[in-house]
Amino acid sequence: MTTVGEIRAANPRMTCRQVNVYYGDKHAIKNVSIDIGRNEVLAMIGPSGCGKSTFLRCLNRMNDTIEGCRVTGTITLDGQDIYDPDLDVVLLRAQVGMVFQKPNPFPKSIYDNIAYGPKIHGLARTRSELDQIVETSLQKAGLWDEVKDRLKHPGTGLSGGQQQRLCIARAIAVSPEVILMDEPCSALDPIATARIEDLIHELREQYTIVIVTHSMQQAARVSQRTAFFHMGDLIEVGPTDRIFTRPRHSLTEDYITGRFG
Amino acid sequence: MKKIICVLGMAVVLGLSQAPAATARDYISIVGSSTVYPFSTTVAEHFGKTTPFKTPKVESTGSGGGFKLFCAGVGVQHPDITNASRAIKPSEKQTCAQNGVREIVQVKIGYDGIVLAQSKKVPAMHLSRRDIFLALAKEVPDPSGAEKTVPNPYKTWKDVNPQLPDVKIEVLGPPPTSGTRDAFLELAMQGGAKSFKWLKELKKKDKKLFKKIAHTLREDGAYIDAGENDNLIVQKLEANPNALGIFGFSYLDQNADKIQGAFVDGVEPTFENISAQKYPLSRPLFFYVKKAHVGTIPGIQEYIAEFTSEKAWGPEGYLADKGLIPLPDEERSKMREVARKLEVMPME
Amino acid sequence: MESHSGIAAVVKKTLNRRYRAERRFRRIGLAAVAVGLLFLAVLFTAIVSKGYTAFQQTHVLLDVYVDPDVVHVGNLDSADYQGLIKASLRELFPDVKGHRDKRNLYKLVSSGAGSILRQKVLEDTSLIGRRIQIWVPADDDVDMVIKGHVDRSLPESQRRLNNKSLAWVDALKEQGRLEKRWNLTFFTAGDSREPELAGIWGATVGSFYTLLITLSLSFPLGTAAAVYLEEFAPRNRWTDLLEVNINNLAAVPSIVFGLLGLAVFLNFFGLPRSSPLVGGLVLTLMTLPTIIIAGRAALQSVPPSIRDAALAVGASKMQAVFHHVLPLALPGMLTGTIIGMARALGETAPLLMVGMVAFIVDIPRGFTDAATALPVQIFLWADSPERAFVEKTSAAIMVLLGFLILMNGAAVFLRNRYERRW
Ligand SMILES: Nc1ncnc2c1ncn2[C@@H]1O[C@H](COP(=O)(O)OP(=O)(O)OP(=O)(O)O)[C@@H](O)[C@H]1O
Ligand SMILES: [Mg+2]
Repeated sequence: MTTVGEIRAANPRMTCRQVNVYYGDKHAIKNVSIDIGRNEVLAMIGPSGCGKSTFLRCLNRMNDTIEGCRVTGTITLDGQDIYDPDLDVVLLRAQVGMVFQKPNPFPKSIYDNIAYGPKIHGLARTRSELDQIVETSLQKAGLWDEVKDRLKHPGTGLSGGQQQRLCIARAIAVSPEVILMDEPCSALDPIATARIEDLIHELREQYTIVIVTHSMQQAARVSQRTAFFHMGDLIEVGPTDRIFTRPRHSLTEDYITGRFG
Repeated sequence: MKKIICVLGMAVVLGLSQAPAATARDYISIVGSSTVYPFSTTVAEHFGKTTPFKTPKVESTGSGGGFKLFCAGVGVQHPDITNASRAIKPSEKQTCAQNGVREIVQVKIGYDGIVLAQSKKVPAMHLSRRDIFLALAKEVPDPSGAEKTVPNPYKTWKDVNPQLPDVKIEVLGPPPTSGTRDAFLELAMQGGAKSFKWLKELKKKDKKLFKKIAHTLREDGAYIDAGENDNLIVQKLEANPNALGIFGFSYLDQNADKIQGAFVDGVEPTFENISAQKYPLSRPLFFYVKKAHVGTIPGIQEYIAEFTSEKAWGPEGYLADKGLIPLPDEERSKMREVARKLEVMPME
Repeated sequence: MESHSGIAAVVKKTLNRRYRAERRFRRIGLAAVAVGLLFLAVLFTAIVSKGYTAFQQTHVLLDVYVDPDVVHVGNLDSADYQGLIKASLRELFPDVKGHRDKRNLYKLVSSGAGSILRQKVLEDTSLIGRRIQIWVPADDDVDMVIKGHVDRSLPESQRRLNNKSLAWVDALKEQGRLEKRWNLTFFTAGDSREPELAGIWGATVGSFYTLLITLSLSFPLGTAAAVYLEEFAPRNRWTDLLEVNINNLAAVPSIVFGLLGLAVFLNFFGLPRSSPLVGGLVLTLMTLPTIIIAGRAALQSVPPSIRDAALAVGASKMQAVFHHVLPLALPGMLTGTIIGMARALGETAPLLMVGMVAFIVDIPRGFTDAATALPVQIFLWADSPERAFVEKTSAAIMVLLGFLILMNGAAVFLRNRYERRW
């Protein structure tokens, strides 16, 4: 199946070519090729079970941890093949951060949640540098004002929306180049969602962001490009405003007009 | 957490370094029969208290287990003395000899009686060995007199012998691993079986079959395997006056206020009768000394001297208090000489 | 509207049935708990009612003249102290004549009385030549009479104390020379053939050394094995086989570990028989599977999202496990370890094979000294003919139960204190 629309980006940070993913015998991603441009927000939409999360996890090799999962094809980050056996996954994941669908802070203090990544990577030489990283990360995630007085409190004691922002702060604390977000707002109320969307806008200046979402409005609000998946196929990809106004593929049209999914 | 682990680790290292693994042993190691255990330990304790030597270590392994360990070889890791409620078997001697244990001193220390005890609430039973055999064997001679065996049909003691009371046969006894059970089978059951002429002849012709008949106890509930704990049997007998219990004389001696011994072949199990070898269900007790260890392990000779002193194994000695039935005077002095001179027993 | 109320009626009908089922189940559950508690109560009352008397021991007050002819500086260690005790008994009952009666008289006090006197004199040599009052333990037969475990109305021939002895006991009692006192010996002495001199300290120390070995080997080994198998090992036929075997080992009768220990540690490595070192090694083999299984369960219960979170910020597998997963699993692992230890504390069968079921008087002073363990002591006493050991057995069980409750309590405490809920 060939993808409709322009899969290439002018200035790609990541490129994916003929990516296939299998869970044992199950063919979950079928021959997907797409670029992810520098400083752009790419939204991935599609009905449940179509393979959005699976594809997202290919981008920082989190699929490695899943038993029986096999990935073929090539994915590059800044021209470097990330599935090259010589490539260090730890380094890759420092460059490509991830925010999960369900907030998953460590059962440690807010401070330690943020400081953990910089600590293991040796990003801060002194305590005050570390403090600085924690503060800026929380500020970027829009959480600083709410938690600055209780940095020693457990991160699991925060509300769901706060926890999700904590996880975002944790991801950006290691200064990745790409941030992958898997339905970051699925458990949040509209206000918290709006904050995170604002945050994505701000982050775009420095980072490349891939976001999976079930909300067409959200995709329209935050992304420059949108990719539509269906049963493991990448059906259509293009500039967000074009996809939502003039979809070229009938499946895409059915989906965004709410006729299925 | 890490600290705890560190401390534990250090404790172990310290403990291990404190004594090198294979040091010379400075205490006597004794193994063997659980029947002799109470006597052996009493002597060991006295010995430890009244001499500069360490208190010997006494393990209760059973007679067979004791010989196995004892005959495994010469050296500090092997025991110096083994206790036994029977004499050493030729096969055990052979194992001993094969492993270099060629000089063994055998010391007979006294007797133990096997008693069939019952509650004091009922009059004492008068049993013969034949009654015991008929009541407890799985297969008994055909009551019609034919020379074959039938599954045991007797339900009450009266069925066995019209002179006995009309109560259900219920006997609590030790499990197969016990030396007391071996002795009971040998002395009571075999003795009873031999009272049938054709079985006695069978013994000469087919020893195995005879043993099978005499040594197989009923499994229909008349014989109850009551476990190794003899104190428990005493309690059960108190609760059930119809039941009999099988155990060593020392239990009867210690619990004379609660239980009494049944007469066997007209003889009551008393101190005097067993000592005079009148009571049929009695067996000799021994200990065996590895002569090669004398001089290497400190105190062996002194321990033997303590054991064979009048104040220990004499009729008035402290072992008699513990229920040991002393040897007759003459045999005792003979044995003391054997022990003193460490006279080795013949190995053939 | 109609169909709506129709559904309500239908649901209502089933609702009653469902509630009834629930009530029934609750009652059954409650009954099960009650039966369990009842058995426990019966067990405890049986043990406590039999054992509490062992914490007291009848003592006799004697006026002993420390005769300088018998004890002097030259023979402080080896003087005939028991003879002095006997002399003081003769003084108390000057009418007793004849060899037999005298022997019975001497038997009223423990044969350990002499060593108590010796201890006193060694501590303070100025006692020599003086007349001192000293409490010594009474013989176990006297103790049993005083505690009412022996029926005095039985005919003389059936008692271990004859009429004369009983009369002496009564006379002593009247003079206030007979008293039940706190039985310190029970907590400070090693084993003895004389019930009044026997104590559990030797066995307790033996258990302590044994468990120390077991804990310090099985906890690190078990944890390491659990972490490796759960987090690092590839899933293939070999690891499946390993898992099946570990689960099997956990169910193997403990005596088998004893046999293994006999073959490996004693016969092959030549480690000292009857030592806590070997006992601890054998119990390590026995508890390892338990700890590994508990450890793996604890690791499995850590949600995978924590691992993902750590990996996603760039932690290596090792860092994810040791920084995040292991600390979360540790309370569960510790609980498993403590339960394993508690089981090891109560075990006798494997110790039998390595020679720890033994009569040992001296308190062990290291990992290679001969030693027994608490449950072994219980087993040995339960098998002893002397009546007075019955209460000692129950008392020792109480002490063992105390330790077990303490350990299991610690497990519950750790779980409640550190367990995290997600
Ligand atoms: N670990 C796994 N093992 C086997 N199959 C899996 C696994 N994870 C996902 N799948 C299958 O792969 C397909 C894609 O799953 P994926 O989670 O990528 O869907 P998704 O698009 O993210 O759906 P949703 O929007 O509901 O999150 C599904 O059919 C799913 O059943
Ligand atoms: Mg998904």
